Amino acid sequence: MELIDKLSILADAAKYDASCASSGAPKRSSRGKAGLGSSSGMGICHSFTPDGRCVSLLKVLLTNFCLFDCQYCVNRRSSNVPRARFTPEEVVRLTLSFYRRNTISGLFLSSGIIRSSDYTMEQLIRVARLLRETHQFRGYIHLKAIPEADPRLLEEAGRYADRLSANIELPTLTSLKTLAPEKELGTIHAAMGHIRQGIDATNDDIARDARHLPRSANPKRMAPRYAPGGQSTQMIVGADATDDRTILQSAQHLYRDFRLKRVYYSAFSPIPERPAGLPQAAPPLLREHRLYQADFLIRSYGFQAEELLNAPGNLDLEIDPKLAWALAHRNDFPVDLNRAEPAMIARVPGIGLRSVQRLVDLRRLRRIRYQDLVALRCRLDTLRPFVVTQDYRPTDADRDSTRLRQHLTAPQPAQMALW
Amino acid sequence: MHGVSTPPASCVAWADDFDEWRQQARQLLQAGIPPSRVTWHDGEARHDDLFASPTISERPPSPEGASTPISIGRDQLTLLRNAARYRPRGSEQPRWPLLYRVVWRMVQGDATAMHAADDDGRVLHQRWHAIKREAHHMHAFLRFHRRDDAHGERYVAWFEPAHEILDLGAEHFADRMGGSRWIIATPGGGVSWDGTTLDYRAPCPENWTREARAAANRPNADEEHALWRTYFVSTFNPARLNHKVMTQHMPQRFWRHLSEGDLIPTMEAKARHGGQRLAQETSVGQRQGKALNVKLPADATSLPSRQRDDAPTD
Ligand code: SF4
Repeated sequence: MELIDKLSILADAAKYDASCASSGAPKRSSRGKAGLGSSSGMGICHSFTPDGRCVSLLKVLLTNFCLFDCQYCVNRRSSNVPRARFTPEEVVRLTLSFYRRNTISGLFLSSGIIRSSDYTMEQLIRVARLLRETHQFRGYIHLKAIPEADPRLLEEAGRYADRLSANIELPTLTSLKTLAPEKELGTIHAAMGHIRQGIDATNDDIARDARHLPRSANPKRMAPRYAPGGQSTQMIVGADATDDRTILQSAQHLYRDFRLKRVYYSAFSPIPERPAGLPQAAPPLLREHRLYQADFLIRSYGFQAEELLNAPGNLDLEIDPKLAWALAHRNDFPVDLNRAEPAMIARVPGIGLRSVQRLVDLRRLRRIRYQDLVALRCRLDTLRPFVVTQDYRPTDADRDSTRLRQHLTAPQPAQMALW
Repeated sequence: MHGVSTPPASCVAWADDFDEWRQQARQLLQAGIPPSRVTWHDGEARHDDLFASPTISERPPSPEGASTPISIGRDQLTLLRNAARYRPRGSEQPRWPLLYRVVWRMVQGDATAMHAADDDGRVLHQRWHAIKREAHHMHAFLRFHRRDDAHGERYVAWFEPAHEILDLGAEHFADRMGGSRWIIATPGGGVSWDGTTLDYRAPCPENWTREARAAANRPNADEEHALWRTYFVSTFNPARLNHKVMTQHMPQRFWRHLSEGDLIPTMEAKARHGGQRLAQETSVGQRQGKALNVKLPADATSLPSRQRDDAPTD
């Protein structure tokens, strides 16, 4: 099979993984050195496909042959799809060639399980080793961690990769049992635990070296770094009946226990020859979007999953989770922007983290006025009922949550279908 | 002129770039000349007939001004320097008077002048934001085309930046491309990298422009771009078509010089007309499929490592 045909099959097979991030890598440069590639910590999207998704990495499977039969997956062994397999050298060639043309910032390599989990993991590592050692490639590498593989292999993978990810795929034990019978939650968690240990250990080494060694001895060179971009995972949304609260609690648990960098939510995509038991239609993309918003509130704003959803169920599709929380907690509002703790200002719907910082800076210089919120381009329509400034107080008429909600959602019904 | 006690009615100052502006601004501040009295000129239009009033070089700093050292924080300097890279369009305010007004206010003790909620400060922050965004666009959407010469491997690129960011891009690509040689040509200047040093040229040499534009207009002459186009089509998920988000992140002005740019309208049209039901790329679906017939152990969850050697290869 021609390389171009393999590429077409194995990129198609890999696109169900939502992650394409190239962020979080340490600073590397090839200036004045043999080899190729750099990383700056900030990810680069080199293109966007018409689905609005970022193309940052060459995202392919090494092969889409697979021994497993995960029901939601297009590559499951019972699926009637065309199959292909790259040689490690072919993946290396494509990565370097695309990289030089500046169409990607690195490689995200995953694979179906062939022969055995260990064998598959070894093949992935081989590609990364060729890139890093033979070609001195300093771009981004994200490797899929096969949870069932020997921990020693995960250890080795982390020495080459910026990021490792073991996909949890389904948020509960039961859904995993029904839809991915060969996968085991315990094994996935164990793999995440190994990766976390690896990351923590090198971070400790680096911190210790930085403390005890003279500055001239670059600590980065002393300890080979282990997956410096951290680990991530993916959960499929809408392949079964699991609700958003369970999904978010599970994500919260992963962030806490394994210090994941990111949890990706992937709305189940309709696949050819859908097995019985899977939904016919994809869940609304808006649901996925709301999960990302809620996830961001948990990671960066100090919210708990249980605050955003205090009972079983899904996030409100009509309004974003921060506004929903504020409407349910009217007693905490309005917030006086000249007095409140920054963490509380961050809970005001319509004020983002950057504006919080700017408001806090500004009030050291002078009192905050309503006009400042205009200048900082905060979402005025949304925040109006929730803030107090030196020259502004919300009027009493705005105080009823139900009416407020009607008022806030009324002008935008047309956006619903689009998201 | 020494010892003049009243400042002239107005001053004229010229600056081509930030460092020139900074030098002039420092003198004007030390002379205590308020923004309303300064007319700034940008660029090289130094015609003698424009000398309507004394230039600042003729005015030594007043003793009083010189005694107050003018200091400005490092972050603030960064903000000014980067905001100055912005090329104002249409009715947007020119850069030098804006910058001078801001530093004047700072020196007068108005610390809010550079805050994002201030009328002037907001413009600075917006401009810096636009600069970061445009530099990021260059890092992301510039495309190299391989054009070897007698000395071996070599890459060329054509890029049309909206602001003065060529150096920000060049530094990035020097880190990224290591020993590979390249040139980047733009409508303004150009820069080349020979593996060790950056060579800036303004204006851009004509032969660079010609070669880079030709490469950008016929991207398929470099056959690796054909592989890239295949990848782009395959990695797209038609079931999630979202034109708005795509164009938000990748403005259409860049499409022209992307080798995948001309594919986008077709991919969207196809997705809208039926292809949208499935995530799979149609051409992949049309190939001969292959379900795998593997015998799994009774307890499939305990699939042992290194056990099975019957996995198919192609
Ligand atoms: S292990 Fe499951 S999810 Fe992964 S490729 Fe195989 S069938 Fe798909």
